[in-house]
Amino acid sequence: MPEIAIATEKLTRRFGELTAVDNVDLQVEAGQFFGFLGPNGAGKSTTIKMLTGLLVPTAGRVSLLGIDFARHPVEVKRQIGVVPEGMGLFERLTAPEYLEFVGRMYGLDKPTTRKRSDELLEFMQLADRSRTLIADYSHGMQKKLALAAAVIHGPRILFLDEPFEGVDALAAGALKELLGRMTERGVTIFLTSHVLEIVERLCSHVAIIKRGRLVAQGSMEQLRAGVPNIEGETLTLEDIFLSVVGEGTERPQVEELTWLT
Amino acid sequence: MVDLNAESSVNRDQGETDRRPLPSLIEQLRLVAWLRLRSLRNGLRNKNRRMDLLGIVVSGLFSSLLVIGVTIGLFAATKYIFDEHQQPYLGLLFLGLLIWWQLFPILLAGFAAQFSFRSLLRFPLSFSAFYVVGLVYGLADAAAIAAVIWMGAMIAGTLASQPGAAPAMLLACVLFAALNITVERLLGAWLEKILSKRRAKEVMFTIFVLSMVSLQFLNPVLQKHGAEVKAGIQRVLPYLWLLPSAFAGSFVAKASAEQWGAALLQLAGLAMYVVLFSLLLWHRYAQLYSGEELSEGTAPERRAKAEASDDLDDRDSLGFLPPQIGAVFRKEINYLKRNTFLFFSLLIPPLMVFFFSMQFAGTRSGPFKQGITPERFFPGMMAYLVLMLVAPSYNSFAHESRGIQTYFMSPVRFREILLGKNLMTMVIVLIELSFCVMLVGFRVGFPSTPVTVATLMAVAFSVVSQLTIANWSSIRFPKRMDFGKMQGQRNSGMSVLLMFGVQLVLAGISALILLSGRWLDSPWLPAEVFTVLAAAAVAGYFASLDSLTELAEKKKETLIETLCR
Repeated sequence: MPEIAIATEKLTRRFGELTAVDNVDLQVEAGQFFGFLGPNGAGKSTTIKMLTGLLVPTAGRVSLLGIDFARHPVEVKRQIGVVPEGMGLFERLTAPEYLEFVGRMYGLDKPTTRKRSDELLEFMQLADRSRTLIADYSHGMQKKLALAAAVIHGPRILFLDEPFEGVDALAAGALKELLGRMTERGVTIFLTSHVLEIVERLCSHVAIIKRGRLVAQGSMEQLRAGVPNIEGETLTLEDIFLSVVGEGTERPQVEELTWLT
Repeated sequence: MVDLNAESSVNRDQGETDRRPLPSLIEQLRLVAWLRLRSLRNGLRNKNRRMDLLGIVVSGLFSSLLVIGVTIGLFAATKYIFDEHQQPYLGLLFLGLLIWWQLFPILLAGFAAQFSFRSLLRFPLSFSAFYVVGLVYGLADAAAIAAVIWMGAMIAGTLASQPGAAPAMLLACVLFAALNITVERLLGAWLEKILSKRRAKEVMFTIFVLSMVSLQFLNPVLQKHGAEVKAGIQRVLPYLWLLPSAFAGSFVAKASAEQWGAALLQLAGLAMYVVLFSLLLWHRYAQLYSGEELSEGTAPERRAKAEASDDLDDRDSLGFLPPQIGAVFRKEINYLKRNTFLFFSLLIPPLMVFFFSMQFAGTRSGPFKQGITPERFFPGMMAYLVLMLVAPSYNSFAHESRGIQTYFMSPVRFREILLGKNLMTMVIVLIELSFCVMLVGFRVGFPSTPVTVATLMAVAFSVVSQLTIANWSSIRFPKRMDFGKMQGQRNSGMSVLLMFGVQLVLAGISALILLSGRWLDSPWLPAEVFTVLAAAAVAGYFASLDSLTELAEKKKETLIETLCR
């Protein structure tokens, strides 16, 4: 039986009257490249924050690699890497200083941290900006650094919130290859992105959340099977997403903007 | 080359909407005023902003008193000058206005809320409209409004004494106002360019703060070198006629004496200033209008890879600490080095100790004729140091910004983070304290051994007790602060209240214990009591760390939301 890397049971988060995440049951197997999709405000970031310990669930349970997050937060955090929504960088440090800080926080010794930091900066094409403060980095450069920090300790699960946003095509290509290789080694990657083409190309499994509720979950084939289509036509993830999310939702009509069209 | 007067010529051949004429200049000004009003109104939805508005209203009331006072003063001075036929002194009144108008906005530049005037450039605003909007903004400035009121008082003073000279005064005031607005906007535009560089901004604020501290030394310097300073000022005075204020004053003086030729010459001098600065402002605004990049524009220099880590080596100088505490401590050192303002503010306590030793201690003439003895001066200075140095710990996550997420994502308990941060505070306190102890010893002399030991134990008790409470305050009442920015850079109200309360109580307890030794004629008693209290404070501190870790876990959403916003 495959190891379950990420499991949630009736995961719920309420903000006052608003239920942002509503009884979500997720199951992600170890080594999966898992895409987590949803329209704006659906609850993606709230879910990822609860999965990474940045937000306390109102109800329900999170278990990573079989360990209960609420009971053993430090043990769980040791095994995961995160690129959160705001990237979580200390902007007044340089990239090597930040990576050293993160490496030491994960308990790596100094020579190992230094070696990995140098290699990661080289890979992310940030080595020639190693004296620049993070505050002076472009958005894409900050994203690459946040990714480097998320993997420096060799996590078993990687949570990525919009990891390719602002990253140039060259670096994005190398990153996708790196992430692919990591999954081959058994690392689980949990990714959210609004760019459906990226998710379709990278992810083996996908879940879709809408208004806080999980409305679809499974492999691409399973999701395709669940959506009606014309015979002989292969559904793209965008078709599936629009079909699942668009159900019961009125889509904006371009024709209404007559003065523009 | 950008055609500054081309008004949206780009899309003329496109759809119907694009061919509509742009709004008139007045309409554009009205729209900008509406935008500012809306921004202010919508900003008040935020509770903190409402508190800020209350602060503005209260400070506005005090400012009004100043404005009313100066208005009455200027009215009386102008009337007196005309009554007593002392018109050559009118230039001094204009000089006062000039200094106020130009200096006050610069002093406020770091503190006042700035509306991004440049952001208007994304709209199809003609250059002339952009220029006029810029000038109108200058007139809406608090310093400008006060100066206009004061000029009104000068006109009223002239009317009351010599009505015939009032038209000349009015003309001088109008031209002088035009000049001041132009110069103020020009300085503002240049200042904006300088302050757009993060480092320059920090350095400037640091210089400002150190200048303010240095002002404390003005009195002692004047006492010692008063005659030389006076002679220096007298040497400069004859050149004041070159200033526009002198032209404005002389114009009114000559016109009131009906010396029309000389008056016109003075008026021409003033007008020349207006034209010159208008041209400079026109040029500066043209650069802005053309899309000048003001942010940290130049890309950081590409450096050789080998250089990247040349200042880092594999030896861990903090190897004796657990890696997580060492990491936080090292990060705190880096943050202190990068925060120019905070870094240089560490110079203030020794400077103030030096100043206090000059003013109050020893047997010298001054406010304290007898001088304060080392027995009292030493404990007083140490209390002052603790007050200054522990204060930032009450909001110790202020500068973390989005980095706070890293703390919560890392596999560490919050106690390690608190320990790393507090260790940094302790090191700073120790360094400053050692330096100041030597300074006090050199300047004033050391007190008796029992008082020295009691004071140092009291410092240990106070610092450790305060760090425990300050940790709680940092988690419970966080407030974000930004580097190189002074506007709104203060702790939350509750945190400030707590800090004052705690410091007051601790100072009271410490004073009582110190005095008890004298009352009971037992010189070592305070030292013994403080040693016990310091040991209890240390035990309490370590006992509190687990509870604070739990509290941080409970409050992490508030912390992240407040600091990442």
